[in-house]
Amino acid sequence: MENLLLKIGQNLFLIFGLMALGGAAVMVAAKNAVHSVMGFLLAMLAMAGCYLCIGAEFMGVAQLLVYAGGIVVLFLFVVMLVELSKAKEKGVFQRQTPFALVLAGAGVVGFVGVFWKTIFGTSAQEALTLAPGLVTQGEKLGNAQMLSRGLFAEYLLPFEILSVILLVALVGAVVLAKTERV
Amino acid sequence: MPTPTLTQSVLIAILQAILVVVFIFVIVPLTLFAERKVLGYLQQRLGATRIAGTLTGLSGFLNRNMWKMGKIPMLSYWRGIPMLVGDVLKMILKEDILPTKADKFVFFIAPAISFVASVVVFAAISFVPGTLFTLPQWVPVIGGLPVAGAVGDVNVGLLWILGIASVGVYGIVLAGWASNSKYPLLGGLRSGAQIVSYEVPLTLSLLAPVVMSGSLQFSELSRSMAVGLPIWGIVPQFFGFFIYLTCGFAETNRMPFDMPEAENELVAGFHTEYSGMKFGFFYLAEYINMTVVAAIASAFFLGGPWLLPFGLQGLFNHFLSPHLPALLVTFLCEPHAIFFVGKIILLLFVYIWVRGTIPRYRYDQVMAVAWKYFIPLTLVNLMLAALVRYFAV
Amino acid sequence: MHKFLKTLIPFDIAKGMLITGKHFSKVFFSANRRKVPFHVVSEYPEVPAKMQPRFRGRLQLLRDEAGEIKCVCCMACEKICPTQVITIESDKKEVRKTKLPTRYDFEMERCIFCEFCVESCGFDSIILNHQFELAVYNREDMSIAMDGKFQNMFGISPVAKYSVADEKD
Repeated sequence: MENLLLKIGQNLFLIFGLMALGGAAVMVAAKNAVHSVMGFLLAMLAMAGCYLCIGAEFMGVAQLLVYAGGIVVLFLFVVMLVELSKAKEKGVFQRQTPFALVLAGAGVVGFVGVFWKTIFGTSAQEALTLAPGLVTQGEKLGNAQMLSRGLFAEYLLPFEILSVILLVALVGAVVLAKTERV
Repeated sequence: MPTPTLTQSVLIAILQAILVVVFIFVIVPLTLFAERKVLGYLQQRLGATRIAGTLTGLSGFLNRNMWKMGKIPMLSYWRGIPMLVGDVLKMILKEDILPTKADKFVFFIAPAISFVASVVVFAAISFVPGTLFTLPQWVPVIGGLPVAGAVGDVNVGLLWILGIASVGVYGIVLAGWASNSKYPLLGGLRSGAQIVSYEVPLTLSLLAPVVMSGSLQFSELSRSMAVGLPIWGIVPQFFGFFIYLTCGFAETNRMPFDMPEAENELVAGFHTEYSGMKFGFFYLAEYINMTVVAAIASAFFLGGPWLLPFGLQGLFNHFLSPHLPALLVTFLCEPHAIFFVGKIILLLFVYIWVRGTIPRYRYDQVMAVAWKYFIPLTLVNLMLAALVRYFAV
Repeated sequence: MHKFLKTLIPFDIAKGMLITGKHFSKVFFSANRRKVPFHVVSEYPEVPAKMQPRFRGRLQLLRDEAGEIKCVCCMACEKICPTQVITIESDKKEVRKTKLPTRYDFEMERCIFCEFCVESCGFDSIILNHQFELAVYNREDMSIAMDGKFQNMFGISPVAKYSVADEKD
């Protein structure tokens, strides 16, 4: 009993990972767009489970809150209201296939490169920050505190740049959505 | 105290889960019943007084004979109690109809998502900090071990609650879509938009306690909001409480904001096509969500398992506990799960009270209230909380 | 600005909550304990429902003190009826100067309970009584005549009487 539970506990990450992969597969393979969004949701929830398994509670719950609770809802909204039969008639998806394959290949190469570098390369030695006094020197902190230290002290500059990029995207969306008033 | 082995802790967790489910299934039918009666009283009616007609059923038989003897039935005040069973039986026994053009899988899975999301939230809710009770020695495997007041009091408990609760919206949106009918679809869309927008002020209003206590753990939050604050900690909590409660009403699709099922606009909204136990799951999920919102409100703002709300308990403990006898100190100054449950019940009453009083908002008003009033207000509230944190704590 | 403040400070909501709260407490503490209950509903099937004096129920012919039918067959009600549910046939009788109806049919299924007939009657010989339990099992029971044994134009029909409080048995 004890050993079985221990085994299950050790392999929870694997279980959640397989669930995430299954969800992703459903998302790609499903004929119905809403089913595919549900696969996406499953993948996101399983990802949150993975994060929880490796002891990153904050990341896991943020995954739940942001992706499962926010972004996938917007996906669902769009998918529910879009009429897909016209796009099928025009053969949009057929023409897209070669480009999609090329892009997917590029993505795979990129990801493999990043993983390779993360696992075998050396990470950045010096923190990129405006306030070096706040950088943690190996203190033991809670999960959320750790993360906030990382975001707002060690990597403040990249974080702010990222938020500016997001702001640019937001403004761009507003400009695109704005109708011309004559 | 012995450290429990893995098997023992898993068994205790299962026991806790069972306790939580029992709690849910006690409090939800009671709320259903209370809703009928209280709503009646609020409108000068009597609410449900019988489950069968006057000529059929046991209650009808009894009532009839009492009336004939010229007496008001003895249990008249409590008549309608069979409604507790009647509601549940009705849901189970009703025919389960599947619309022909519905998407069968999604139609099936939507109530399940709604229900599971609302129950799983209870994992992080701590009824009392520390130990709820210690198991007696004669219990087979887990005898003598303490049972904690929460299933899993993780250190991101509040975020867990918010995250899982936000998954619950899929139930409603998918139900609206899968029914393949226009009113459910409209109801689902309304609900999706409403819940996504009200999540922002809800989370922001819950950030004030987080800022003031500096933790995300449910029990720690509830402890520091109840007894860990000096007197001027009341102010930001007070407004935050009302904002949170209003957003909670909107989040659970309750009466002033029940856009997804507005009866006189959308037939029954997202569950128009549902019947039987599938509808029952939506129904249960709504009431469990109410309980969750009430639990969070009572833990963070009303003092949780301590007696006094709004952080007054800390003051009380500080000044009065040295002068009181030990028995009273145990009762008044220490946490008890019964206070927590009592506050939940009080807030559930407030829910029904509000439902009986305030008419439904128009849809654009609902959205305007969320974006134009609550988000700025919660930001101000958050600033107040930060000031309290900076100067007082 | 005024509107903003009004939305911000929910005095109206507080007022409404107070009113309903008052109702709640009054009904909660007085239900079935006071002689005059605070709640406005009656326990209808057991206790006879209290009708308001101007309630418009079923059409009924009246008799005078001597037991004679008051109707003189002036046909005013038949003419004014918007849905034409009243049919009157009249006959002359020696005992009385005025005419006497031999037939007075009332088809309740089309009646809209507008009370025009009662208003048009110059002799106060018909009223809409306080009967509201009008459901029947057969369609024929909806048309009521003067000579029915089971139900007629002169009294409250026993059809579909759900109240058990004043049942005789």
